[in-house]
Amino acid sequence: MMSGRERRRVVPDYMAAARVTVPEHINVERTTLVYIAPDAATNGLDPPASHLLALLQDGPLSVYECAAHLGLPYCVVRLLVAGLVGGGTLLTRDPPVVDMPDIEILELVLSGLRAL
Amino acid sequence: MASAHSDSRISADHIPVKLVIAGPFGVGKTTIVDALSEIRPLNTEEVLTQAGTLVDDLTGVNEKTTTTTAIDFGRLTLPGVVLYLFGAPGQTRFQVLWNELVRGALGVLVLADTRRIDDSFAVLDLVESAGIRYAVAVNHFPDSPDYPPDVLRKALDLDLRTPLVVCDARDPASARAALIALVEHIRELVLS
Repeated sequence: MMSGRERRRVVPDYMAAARVTVPEHINVERTTLVYIAPDAATNGLDPPASHLLALLQDGPLSVYECAAHLGLPYCVVRLLVAGLVGGGTLLTRDPPVVDMPDIEILELVLSGLRAL
Repeated sequence: MASAHSDSRISADHIPVKLVIAGPFGVGKTTIVDALSEIRPLNTEEVLTQAGTLVDDLTGVNEKTTTTTAIDFGRLTLPGVVLYLFGAPGQTRFQVLWNELVRGALGVLVLADTRRIDDSFAVLDLVESAGIRYAVAVNHFPDSPDYPPDVLRKALDLDLRTPLVVCDARDPASARAALIALVEHIRELVLS
């Protein structure tokens, strides 16, 4: 797959999120997992949004992976995702943000790494 | 689009966990992300502000007030969790980006090169000012001099409790051992 830098774009990157309305309460970050809502209407979306949905057809990906595969800057994809979450097309799983990491998560990481 | 997913499928039940790999230019961040990641490492553009323009040569593009950098990014799917690895540039001019990257991260693995130990100070300053848990992994290059651990620890001015491991960033098992040392250290801090 070609990355954004290899392909000459006719449309500037920021246009991918130009028509997006982002609800203020939705916060999406690099490692937020994104997946398609089970009952989402997936037709009638503009090209950047349909490319994103095609990418998510096989399962969840982080916002950062979506940006890399779409060849768009992270800041643009972040808005695109937030807009689609606001419209009910996408669902997210947020990374835990706490000062002290959860001990259960740490144990999962440790046992997972040791089993590799 | 199969390339986006690899063999390890992530489900919506996986908890995303972020780990940052930091170090000076050329220390092996890309190499270690490559060794650990189950997907071909990715990168995407990050926009930087004016701070970088003094350093990044923008001669001839006078109107340009922003510059971009690429961050190495890898993934490791484990039962129940999906680890995201970010190779973060260690220069202080990336401070804003750095703060964003470490927010919510489990911890930071600082890569050091004994041939250029001074280069690690800026990174250690960033890590310590962010107050994030970290471990130091010395990436052993073929021509690296062998220093005893206490000499390295002193040179880096490390706290006795901060893990210091020697690894070969090219070797997945060695890279994993360094990550395990970091996560064990974090667990001890959480339990204490």
